[in-house]
Amino acid sequence: MNEIGGIYQLIVRIGEYSFHFNLTAIAMTWIVIALLLFFGYMASRRRHVLPNSMQVVGELLVAQFYGLTESTLGKERAKSYAPLIVALFMFLLLSNWIGAIPHMTEPTTDLNTPLSLGLMGFVLAHYAGIRAKGFKGYIKTYFEPIVFMLPMNLIGELAKVISISFRLFGNMMGGAIIILVVSHLIYSLVLPPFLYLFFSLFIGTIQAFVFTMLTVVYIAVQVD
Amino acid sequence: MAIEGVDLIHAASYIGAGIAMGLGAIGPGVGEGMVGAKACEAIGRNPSEAALLTRTMLVGQAVSESTGIYSLVVALLLLFVV
Repeated sequence: MNEIGGIYQLIVRIGEYSFHFNLTAIAMTWIVIALLLFFGYMASRRRHVLPNSMQVVGELLVAQFYGLTESTLGKERAKSYAPLIVALFMFLLLSNWIGAIPHMTEPTTDLNTPLSLGLMGFVLAHYAGIRAKGFKGYIKTYFEPIVFMLPMNLIGELAKVISISFRLFGNMMGGAIIILVVSHLIYSLVLPPFLYLFFSLFIGTIQAFVFTMLTVVYIAVQVD
Repeated sequence: MAIEGVDLIHAASYIGAGIAMGLGAIGPGVGEGMVGAKACEAIGRNPSEAALLTRTMLVGQAVSESTGIYSLVVALLLLFVV
């Protein structure tokens, strides 16, 4: 279990508080961001009616997620929220896939990444709700069936953040631990590549998609 | 070697992790099986929609899997943190 226990930490002490930074997750996140920027540059470098291969991939991704967002949020709102949804999906997809490369770990195996993305979706959904219904209408949704349901509604909203972030974190972390344990048991013979294929590529794709779709659904629930 | 309180806490946390994972895996197992069965039925009735049904099935399974994942997180906390 050395690989899981060993975390490169940067500890910054300010007064009596100390901040712990997980350097591996930070470095992997920056690598993912750099790869995405490179992909974006390559996809939009020579835009043409006859697209090159990178542009085809980019157009497919963007068109697919614009369609999904439009079918949930409607045409007018999709215009302002779809770019973020596409970016969220691409970031999650690449950060789940990067674990399949040797010596790389997924940034999503650190709870901070899914939790911050979940909080981002939470804030965005409530901002969208306030903008769509006005502040009064937004507050009114908390007292929806009767006034006494306020605590239930508050807990329901907070549980959404926890459920969405722990789902992603648990899936990726569980996959990483299973790969580690099984690799130790069978002395890394034959099986690990297929485990990486399953947990990193297959489960990672599905979880990225689920996270993105749930963020869209949370926005849609607040807006309607 | 006498058994101390720390050993008891470790033993209890290991037992708790096992129980949490074992009981927590029942619900998602049943639920995902039902989702898969219904998806198979629907594909049998309407094979031309197979791609959409498979995608919906996978998303539904991933969502219903989350309770099992929570129990996994609890078990990991019990194993490595306590």
